[in-house]
Amino acid sequence: MRKKTTVQNITLGVFVTAGLVILVVSLYLVGKNQNMFGSSFHLRARFRNISGLQAGNNVRFSGIQAGTVGKITVIDDTSIEVDLLVNEEMKPFIRDNSLVSIGNEGLMGNKVVNITPSRLPGNPARDNSLLHTKPDVNTDQMMEAFSTVGDNVEIISGGLVSTVNRINESNALWHILNDTVMTQELHLAVINLRIASGNINQLTLALSDVVKDAQAGKGAAGAIIADTAVAGDLRAAMANVRNMSEQSAVLLRHLDSLVGTIQNNIDKGDGLAHAMLHDSSMTGRVSRSLLQVENGTASFNEAMTALKHNVLLRGYFRKVEKRKKGSGQRDSSLIAN
Amino acid sequence: MSRFVFRYFSEVFRPRYEVGQFIRQCYVIGYLSLPLIGITGFIMGLVLTMQLRPSLMSYGVEAQLPVMVSLAIVREIGPVITALIFAGKISSGIGAELGSMKVTEQIDAMEVSGTNPFKYLVVTRVLATTLMLPVLTILSDAISMYGSYLGVNIKGHTSLQLYFIQVFQTLHFGDILPATIKTVFFGFAIGMIGCYKGYNSSKGTEGVGRSANAAVVVSSLLIFIIDLITVQVTDLLGLN
Repeated sequence: MRKKTTVQNITLGVFVTAGLVILVVSLYLVGKNQNMFGSSFHLRARFRNISGLQAGNNVRFSGIQAGTVGKITVIDDTSIEVDLLVNEEMKPFIRDNSLVSIGNEGLMGNKVVNITPSRLPGNPARDNSLLHTKPDVNTDQMMEAFSTVGDNVEIISGGLVSTVNRINESNALWHILNDTVMTQELHLAVINLRIASGNINQLTLALSDVVKDAQAGKGAAGAIIADTAVAGDLRAAMANVRNMSEQSAVLLRHLDSLVGTIQNNIDKGDGLAHAMLHDSSMTGRVSRSLLQVENGTASFNEAMTALKHNVLLRGYFRKVEKRKKGSGQRDSSLIAN
Repeated sequence: MSRFVFRYFSEVFRPRYEVGQFIRQCYVIGYLSLPLIGITGFIMGLVLTMQLRPSLMSYGVEAQLPVMVSLAIVREIGPVITALIFAGKISSGIGAELGSMKVTEQIDAMEVSGTNPFKYLVVTRVLATTLMLPVLTILSDAISMYGSYLGVNIKGHTSLQLYFIQVFQTLHFGDILPATIKTVFFGFAIGMIGCYKGYNSSKGTEGVGRSANAAVVVSSLLIFIIDLITVQVTDLLGLN
């Protein structure tokens, strides 16, 4: 029974202690957030309007929780002094040229004092230093800005209404929009454009390949571009062509003078050529002579045919034919083998 | 009733102190109520978070969920709900226990035997309820916060550290201390009503049941009345 009571007492002690520990820790954390524990130093800032700032609101240095707002004192009709309780840990970082402003924790949150460090170098802030302030963007200013934006939106929407009305009243635009043929043509044009762009793309790729091959020294153009030996050969060939053309020019001049000389000789001389070119009776004579030669040849062929049939010479002609036939058979057998 | 309360205050500081009985009552009333209070607190935090989320989402301030829930739990819901459950469990128990002792004349027997039944039965119980309810409320608030943390993480992601940083950045002494102090009055009222109804029970077993029932009803009503008064007082003191 006593053992059971002891266990119950211990359990009760743990239960109560747990509750008290939670309460104490909660109070400590709340107090710590309000700078009730730990050392802090004072800074001051004077505002024309504190926009509902209250004692206990948070103070932030570059967005970090740094302290709380202390006493708020009205100095005169245009300035209100706010005492800031700032953690001692933040003291080395806050300069005397830092700017103090009043802002909001979110759109609808509590007021907060922001300490913003200056870009210029300054001395560390001392206890009770008076910091410079910058005016906050208060709700009235925001509403004023919203009002201006609203006015601008109204003007823009009026312009849009006018534009839409003009579009609605435009017959030409609606005619274009209702024209189904134009739509099809535009569709076809777009298709053709797409095909053309595809072809151009392919062509570009092919040209790119050619250029790449040429740069790599492939093909004739590549050899011309990349191979220095070919370029030398080409240069030499071009020099040869130039020499040949020069020699051809000289040769042509010689031929020209030769032809001139021959022409002169033909024109002035008494040779056969002169007679054939300038004597008209010569042509008739030459024609007759050729006719006589033709007739003479025919008579000779007859005489030869007669000789083949002559008894005395027939044997000779037979031997000649046999010899021809024998040589023809040997040739054909050689071809067959 | 006022004579009963006056007698309590006259007996509580007068020796001889019933320490053993007081500790036993603390164990029974406080520690044995923890599972019930803990479960209801956990569910309360979780459900409250899940119920508040759509409303806060419609305003685009879902990130303020820990702040809203913690304020609601610490300032009002935690103390009141814990006190109501405590009243349902303890006040009826005390009423029934003391009522049955009354109708079976055990209290009279104690008086005859030289024991002060008021000090032994009433003072120890009222003192136990007065001191245990704040402890139970603190633990219930802590468990509710954890339930709320889980509720926040059902459809979002907030670390435990960030959750409690947000909670304690929001809470002030004016949120915790008045809420904790009023649970002392709640506990006192619950214990006192239970003891009064049981101590003055009559008409046999029927009267015992009636005492238990009346103890729950009256103490529950009294909790809301005390809550209303403490809110007015804290408001007047500028702690809200």
